Amino acid sequence: MLGELEQIVLLAVLRVGEGAYGVPVHDEIVRLAQRDLTLGTVYKTLSRLEDKGFVRSYEGEPTPQRGGRRTRCFAVTTAGRKSLEATFATLRRMAVGLDVGLEPT
Amino acid sequence: MLAHRLIERFLPSSVAAAIVGDLIEREVAGARLWRETAVAIWHLRDRTPPQVETMSTFISDLRLAARLLGRAPTFAITAILTLGIAIGASTAIFSVANPVLLQPLPYRNPDRVVVVWESERTGRRSTIGFATIRDYIERTATLETAAAFGSWQPTLTEGNEAERLTGVRVSATYFRTLGVTPAFGRDFRADEDVPNVPRTVILGNALWQRRFGGDSGVVGRQISIGGTGMTVVGVMPEGFDDVANPGAEIWRVLGYGVTDPYACRTCRHLQMIGRLGPNVDAERAASELTRIHGAIVAEHPKDYASVGTQVIPLKEDATRNYRAAITALGVAVILMLIIAIANVANLQLARLVRRDEEFAIRTALGASSSRLTRQLLTEAFLIAVLGGMAGVAIATVAIPALVRQLPAQLPRLGAIRLDWMALAVVGTVVLVLTVVVGMVPRHARRAATVADGLRAGRRLTGTRQSAIRGGLVVTELAFALMLLVGAGLLARSVVRLLSVDTGFDPHNLLTLEVNSVGPRYQTDAAVFDYHDKVRAAVQALPGVVSVAVVNQLPLGGNFDTYGIVAQDKPLANPEQAPSGDRYVISADYLRTMRIRILEGRTFTEAEERDSVNLVTLVSKALATRVWPNESAIGKRIRMGGPDRPWRTVIGVTADVRHSGLDATVTQQFYVPERQWFFSDDQEVLVVRTRGDPAAMAGVVRQAIRAIDPVQPIVKIAAMEQVIAASTAQRRLALVLFGCFAIAAMLLAVAGIYGVLAGNVAERTREIGLRAALGATPMSILRLIVGQGARLAVVGLGAGLFGAFALTKSLQALLFGIGPHDPTTIAAATMLLLATTLAACLIPALRALRVDPSQAFRND
Repeated sequence: MLGELEQIVLLAVLRVGEGAYGVPVHDEIVRLAQRDLTLGTVYKTLSRLEDKGFVRSYEGEPTPQRGGRRTRCFAVTTAGRKSLEATFATLRRMAVGLDVGLEPT
Repeated sequence: MLAHRLIERFLPSSVAAAIVGDLIEREVAGARLWRETAVAIWHLRDRTPPQVETMSTFISDLRLAARLLGRAPTFAITAILTLGIAIGASTAIFSVANPVLLQPLPYRNPDRVVVVWESERTGRRSTIGFATIRDYIERTATLETAAAFGSWQPTLTEGNEAERLTGVRVSATYFRTLGVTPAFGRDFRADEDVPNVPRTVILGNALWQRRFGGDSGVVGRQISIGGTGMTVVGVMPEGFDDVANPGAEIWRVLGYGVTDPYACRTCRHLQMIGRLGPNVDAERAASELTRIHGAIVAEHPKDYASVGTQVIPLKEDATRNYRAAITALGVAVILMLIIAIANVANLQLARLVRRDEEFAIRTALGASSSRLTRQLLTEAFLIAVLGGMAGVAIATVAIPALVRQLPAQLPRLGAIRLDWMALAVVGTVVLVLTVVVGMVPRHARRAATVADGLRAGRRLTGTRQSAIRGGLVVTELAFALMLLVGAGLLARSVVRLLSVDTGFDPHNLLTLEVNSVGPRYQTDAAVFDYHDKVRAAVQALPGVVSVAVVNQLPLGGNFDTYGIVAQDKPLANPEQAPSGDRYVISADYLRTMRIRILEGRTFTEAEERDSVNLVTLVSKALATRVWPNESAIGKRIRMGGPDRPWRTVIGVTADVRHSGLDATVTQQFYVPERQWFFSDDQEVLVVRTRGDPAAMAGVVRQAIRAIDPVQPIVKIAAMEQVIAASTAQRRLALVLFGCFAIAAMLLAVAGIYGVLAGNVAERTREIGLRAALGATPMSILRLIVGQGARLAVVGLGAGLFGAFALTKSLQALLFGIGPHDPTTIAAATMLLLATTLAACLIPALRALRVDPSQAFRND
C-alpha cells in the first residue's frame, strides 16, 4: 500500500514519461495535485520509492540553463506500476456499494 | 550562490547536482530558495550512521597504536627515548633557569632593589667605605632607602657544638631595603645600628629550625656567637633567600660609627644595596650617584681612586656570573629538542614506508582516509605522551643532580624544583610538533595509491617523501654541528684553563679551615700558639711532608687585599697605590705550596718571632709594578695605613693565580703571621702529603680535634678540588653541552643513515638495473655516498652559519680561544662529516651487494 505522497509522485513521473526529472514532475504535481511541495520533498519521496524498487533513476544530460548540472531522471519500474495498480484496486474494492459519490465510474 | 554551495557541501554530489540544477532552471530565489535549501538538506542529507567520533573510537585507536608500537619495539624505544631525553633535559634546564634567572625575586617590588658599586679607572668595580656609603645615603634623592653590608663569619657556640655560619653585618635598614620582614620578632632598629650598644641578630629560618628546634621562645634570648652573647630579635620567614648574600643564615647590625678606624673612606670593604624610589630607574640613580661621587671625591681628593658609581638591579648583579652559562644551556637544549623532534619525524617516516602494504590493505578493506589519518595521529600522540613520561622521569633525576653541580653562590638555588609549567610548555610543544610532523609523512604518502601499495615492489620512489626526510636530516646535521662546535670551544677553554700555571703545585695538597674563637683565644698570642700546636700535631702525622698556615687560599674565592706604599716611591694620592693580596703565612708556607722564590729568600722561624725587624716577600707582578727597573730586595713597603711600620722586602716570589684561573694576574705580598698587626681567627691549613691528600683528611681532623675539640674544622678539600670548584661554571656548561652535542651527533648520524638505508631499499631495482647494465661498483658507491654527502654538505653549511651565531653567545664562557676558532670549527665539521660518511657507507655497501637477478625476482 502506497502513501498518498508516493502515489502522487509516482503518477506524476508516469505522466511526464520519458526523461522525467525534478522540474517537470514538480510542475505536474503543482498543476494537478495543487500542492506546493518543495523539490526536496519530491526528491525525498523519489528516493524512498527508489529504495522500495518502485522507481529507478539514471543521470540525464547537463544543460546550460541548469548551470551545467546533470538532471536526475526517474522512470517507474514494473514493481512500481503494479504497486500503483494494487493500491487503486484496493481503493476501488473498499468503495464499492457506498452511495457517497466515491463509486468508481 | 551561497544556498547552492550549501546544498553542494552537505549533499552527495549527484543529488546536489540534480537539485541545484532544478533550482537554477526554475530560477528559484529569495525566501523560496532558502526554504528549498533547508528542506532539501534536511530531507536528503546522508542518513547512514556517521562514524561517531567518540572517546571509545579514540581508545580503540590508542589500543591499536599501542599494539603496533609493541610490534616495532626498536622504533618505539628509540622514538620514546629520544623525546624523553629532549623533554627531560629541557625541562631540567628551564626548571633551573626559571627561578634563578627569570622569576622576580621574592621581595616586595623586587625590580626596585639595586646594588651600588664604585667603578675604578680600570673599569672594574669595587666595594665602598662606610663613610662614603653614609654620604650617598644622606645625599641621594633617587634611592628610597639604602643599606650597607659586609661579610661576617660567626661561630655559633651554643651547646657543645661549634658551627661556622655564613652571616652578614647589615645596616638596620637592610631588610626594609630588600623588601622583606621577619616572620616573627622584629626587624633591626636604627638605635641598634650605632657603636657600643648590645648586639642583636636575626636568624634565618633553616638555622632556627636546625639549632633552636623551631622554638619561637628564642626571640629575646641571648645566644653565644664566638663566646659573645647576642640577642635574637627576629626570625626570617621560611623560604627567605638573601640574594645579595647567598647562603647567609644570620644577620647582625653593622654598628659602625663614623669615627671608627674601619669606617674610613679608604676602608672599602662594604657593599651597598638600595631601593629605587617610585618611577626611578637604575640609570637615573646611577647618574645621580655618580654626580654625588664626584662631589665627594672633590671634598676628599686623597681618599678615592674610583671614577664613578654603578647601579645594577640586584637580580642582574646576583646572576651575572651564571647568566651566560644558563642561557647557553638553554640554547643548547632547544637545539637538542629540535633535533629530537626531527629525528622522531624521520623515524615515523621511515616506518611509514614499510607500512605501505598495511595501509593499502586497510584501505581496500574499507578504511577511510580520515580513519587512517586518525590512526597515525593517535600513534604520534602515543609516542609523544610516552616520551613526555620518560621526560618527567629523566627531569626528576636530572634536576637534583644539576643543582648539586651548580655553585652555591647561585641565588634562589633552594627554589629550584621540577617546574610543571616548563614541563607543560615543553610537553605541549613536543606533542604538537610530533603530531604535526607525524602528519607530514601521511601527506607525503598520499601519492601512493592502494594499487601501488599492494603491488609489492612497485612502490613509488617517493621523491616528495625523500625531500622531507632529507630536509629533516639537514636540520639535524646543522644543529648537531652548532652543538658540537659549542662543546668543542668549551672543552678547549676548560683544557686551557686547567693548564694555566697556578704558580704553585696543587697535587698532593690538603687544605682545611681551622678556627680559633671563644674566650680561650682573646689574645693574639693564644691564637698563634694554637696555630703552632696544630701545625706541630699535623706535621707529626705519618704521610705529611710539610704543613703551614695562611689566612687565605689562592683560588679559594677570598678577597683580602691591602694597598701597598713603597717608601722610595711616594704618591700624591695614596689611593692610587697598588694593592696586593694579603698572605699572612707561617715560615713553611712557600715550601709547602711549592711557590718558587725568584729572587732573595724566605724567612726563618726565628725571624718570624722578631718584632722589630719586619720582613716581607712580594710577588713578581708587584715587584715589577713598583720597581720596574730595579731589584725589589732591600726596599721597604707599608700596608694598612700611615701608622703601620715599614717592612723590608727580602724575597720576590713567582705570581700565583689568586682570583681565578681566567682572571688577570693579581699582585701579592707575604708577611710572617706573627709580624702582622692582628691575628686571624680563621686560618687555612695547607698540608703537603706523600700520597692521596683526601685519604689524610680524617687523621688530620682528629689531630686538630685533640688540641681543641670545640673549634669548627670546615672546608676540608684537596687543593685540586678547590681549583676545580673555581672552574665549576665552565665545567658544568661543558659537561652538559658535551652530552647534548654527542646525543645530537648520534641522532643526526642515525638520521642520515636511515634516509640512505631506506633509499637503497627503495632503489634496489634501479641499482640492480644499473649493475646489470654494467655500472661499476665505484659508480654505485658514488651514487649512494654522493647522495649522503650532498645532504651532509647542505646541513653542515647551514650549521656553520648557525655556529657563528651560537658561539657568540658562548663568548663569556670561553677562555684563551675565540668564538670563531677555526681549528675547533674545522675539527667539529670534519668529525661530523666523517661520521656521516661512515654512516653512508653501510647502505652504500649494501647497494653494492645488490644482485641484479635477485632484484627483479619479485616481478
